[in-house]
Amino acid sequence: MKVITAYCNLRADECLVNGELVARRDAGSEDSWFKQIYRKQGLTYPKFYKMDVLSQAGYLASELIKRANPGITGAYADDEIAMVFANASSSAETDRRFTQSYKDGGSPSPSLFVYTLPNIVLGEIAILNKWFGENMFAVLPNFAPGFYLNYGQILFGSGSRALLGGWLEVTANTTDVFLFTVEDKGGNVEFNRENLLRLSQAAAQVTS
Amino acid sequence: MITSMDSLKEDLKKQIIEQLNLEDLTVADIADDALLFNDQGLGLDSIDALELIVLLEKYHGIQLTNPEEGKEAFKSVNTMAEYIRKRKEA
Repeated sequence: MKVITAYCNLRADECLVNGELVARRDAGSEDSWFKQIYRKQGLTYPKFYKMDVLSQAGYLASELIKRANPGITGAYADDEIAMVFANASSSAETDRRFTQSYKDGGSPSPSLFVYTLPNIVLGEIAILNKWFGENMFAVLPNFAPGFYLNYGQILFGSGSRALLGGWLEVTANTTDVFLFTVEDKGGNVEFNRENLLRLSQAAAQVTS
Repeated sequence: MITSMDSLKEDLKKQIIEQLNLEDLTVADIADDALLFNDQGLGLDSIDALELIVLLEKYHGIQLTNPEEGKEAFKSVNTMAEYIRKRKEA
């Protein structure tokens, strides 16, 4: 049975892994929210600072998922982990900054230009992890569980054995990230529409 | 005592952050001897090398036309500052 084995929700002021709060935004900090998570979680990947916000979000969520599900990194061949991401705004935030770089600097910025496609985040994660399976980034009006279920079915039917799926909507005003892994193993969180919807809206579990 | 080289290195760090859009970084995050093109340093790539060439011309009036010179000059903030000093003295 295909089950959801780990998931991460990254929002404007909190970051959850498997429903547990792992970071809360410090509004008084001068650091960006993503930099706060990067530092608080002790992550080390200098390229993080070069990434656009979409790639930073994908990097952070995928690294936190790997911590919660460490077995996934060694359990599959490098072409057996597929990635399927989607959002509503594509790379609009970076596109806007790139356009602005014409006005501010008199010439366009190459370091921004390289991020003016949403699927660059897939490349960043693939290169870092050496996950060279199928991948695609779709632009959809809203988070649509059926998209992941349908496309996941095609991927699992054509050689993929694990899936990193996700919704990454990051704009100047929105941080709505939900990443999850799907594997064929024991577990009680079946990869279905109801669970995807429920987990995408997960609230922090209260632990006493 | 702050020397002119120290001041140049501080300026260079600000310029690198500005030119390469590394807005999450601060001057304090960049060590003088950190390898710019190494994953343990800043993890820059070939696109960033172009930005550094633009930076040298834009902020320091130095044209870098020999790729071999760039290889040496762009190792770290230390080597960039030294390269700028030598070019300005020449």
